[in-house]
Amino acid sequence: MQSLRSPYFRYGIALVFVGAALILSLLLHTILSDGFLIFFLSAVMLTSWFGRTGPGLFAVFLSMAAVAYFFIPPYRAFAVDLEEVPYFLSFLLSALVTSWLGSARRIAEEKQQAHLDELFEQTPEAIMLVDLQDRVLRVNKRFTQMFGYAMQEIVGRYSIELIIPSQLRGQAMNERERLAEGQEVNVETTRRSRDGSHIDVSEVSFPVIANGKCIAYYTIFRDITASKRALEDLHKAQSELAHLSRITTMGELASSIAHEINQPIGAIATNGNAAVRWLAQNPPHLEGAGEALDCIVRDANRAAQVIGRIRALLEKNPTPMIHLDLNEVIREVLLLTSHEANRRGATVKTELSNGLPPVLGDRVQLQQVLLNLIMNSLDSMNSITDRPRELVIKSSRDTNGVVLEVLDSGPGWDEQLTDTIFDPFFTTKKDGIGMGLTISRSIVEAHGGHLKAERRTPHGAILKFDLPIAAGIK
Amino acid sequence: MRAPQDQVFIVEDDPSMRAALKNLLKSVGLEAQLFASAQEFLADKRPDVPSCLILDVRLPGLSGLELQKELAASNIHIPIIFITAHGDIPMSVRAMKAGAMEFLTKPFRDQDLLDAIQLSLSQDRVRRQTAAELGELEKRLESLTSREREVFPLIISGRSNKEVAVEIGTSEITVKVHRGNLMRKMQAGSFADLLRMATSLKIPYTKV
Repeated sequence: MQSLRSPYFRYGIALVFVGAALILSLLLHTILSDGFLIFFLSAVMLTSWFGRTGPGLFAVFLSMAAVAYFFIPPYRAFAVDLEEVPYFLSFLLSALVTSWLGSARRIAEEKQQAHLDELFEQTPEAIMLVDLQDRVLRVNKRFTQMFGYAMQEIVGRYSIELIIPSQLRGQAMNERERLAEGQEVNVETTRRSRDGSHIDVSEVSFPVIANGKCIAYYTIFRDITASKRALEDLHKAQSELAHLSRITTMGELASSIAHEINQPIGAIATNGNAAVRWLAQNPPHLEGAGEALDCIVRDANRAAQVIGRIRALLEKNPTPMIHLDLNEVIREVLLLTSHEANRRGATVKTELSNGLPPVLGDRVQLQQVLLNLIMNSLDSMNSITDRPRELVIKSSRDTNGVVLEVLDSGPGWDEQLTDTIFDPFFTTKKDGIGMGLTISRSIVEAHGGHLKAERRTPHGAILKFDLPIAAGIK
Repeated sequence: MRAPQDQVFIVEDDPSMRAALKNLLKSVGLEAQLFASAQEFLADKRPDVPSCLILDVRLPGLSGLELQKELAASNIHIPIIFITAHGDIPMSVRAMKAGAMEFLTKPFRDQDLLDAIQLSLSQDRVRRQTAAELGELEKRLESLTSREREVFPLIISGRSNKEVAVEIGTSEITVKVHRGNLMRKMQAGSFADLLRMATSLKIPYTKV
């Protein structure tokens, strides 16, 4: 800026200011008497301000010469009478102090300004300053890097046209209105760079207020494309792991699932035979045949339902978050696991509380959690011979939301292991991989809930999780 | 086929299968009574008619094989037809050794089941007949005096009145009277008849 001006200019202004002071003094010194000195001190001050130390001292020198020549006896000579020396020296001192003050103040201000500019330029976040009409006033280096524009391509243009994808402009206008009302606006959104590629940003905008009036808007952009992608990758990996774990669990359940499908199919075959026999009677017994056919339809639907559940659980893509009745989720999982429990000699009891408020969740994932907990409990009870193998599934409501509990009569675990059972690869099973509870916990937490394990007295385990009630429902 | 006095019991935990079996039996005129568990079946007061039991091997709580054992221990002789969704050979061997009539794996041919039911019912009918007859004979045996009961095995072993008299230390005439009473009380029309009764009652022969 001004500090970049040439030495000629800076020394030139010393001549101009001192010259102007001399002229004013010559014209007015008869009226002002010694007051004319103020003109020279002003000239020194101004020169020091604009030209800093060197030109300031030059102005002092010029002023001394002018004062000595014109205003101190002997007049029209650079010499100074002996009795005028104190007067002259005090003027010199005043001029030097004035010069020093002017230039020091100026240098300090320049340093501060440079510091601020440096800060603005070097900030790792992209910064944009726009006026109230959305014209870009200033951007920093990071901004030009992030958006691919050169500084001169941007200044003076409308920021909405430059960096906001067309489909987000309406939203951007709304944000601008909130800014105009004096609010700070904080969004995660997408912006467009010069080459048209999209950048995921976290954006903070705030109004610049001067004298109680909004004069401009500042926006700071942070590029979150990489972290967003990392998060997406993480979610994808988690979902793949969860999918794998579901497949593994389904593998363990294969024989029970086969049974669940075989039962209705067997019933269909038997009912079909019954219908044939009713019809073979003379005259055909239509009522009996109709009854058998009704059963066939019902059983076929049941088989299809079981297959549907399995397919949903084997589905790889995430299912949508919807309002779910937790009891319904429990019943669906029991459809697949009750036979498995039976096969292992365990009885299943349910204590489901009626009228539970819905939770917002991914049906398949929540089924997976329950499936994991039930299979864990059944596995843990395999070794039990001296007491009934009993699985209890409870649902209830508490102040925070809806609670689901799975209780078993297995051996539980050592007290000191309570904190470790959720750790990845922790397992008490011979052929377990130790991911079930880890995955379950991450699913529950992604739903805004908590999965906890407690030891049951005198023996057994309680695994429970809570889920918040879906928003907007009391 | 129709034998309305016969009773078939079905113990099957799967409601679809239970209803299907009832339908099938109804279509051939058989009445079936349904139970979802072994405990339910045990708790029921069953009518005293020729009957058979269709029993699922895997049941919640008491299993089919355990129920079979329980019934045998309580001296309840009901023919059992096992049905199972996944029958393995050791299991079927165990069931058959314990006296099961048939072991069918789902899905089975309906005719196989119906044949097994008919066979079971007729066997149960015969068994009941035999048991009833034996009961009658035992009652007659009860009515004998101790002397007559002493004479019974000796007579059926082919000894003459004289030989019997010597053996039990009495007169030939007395033995003759005993023999007459024995034939009358046992309602035996002939010696061969008495011999058959003795076999049913498992009265031992004694060698000369």
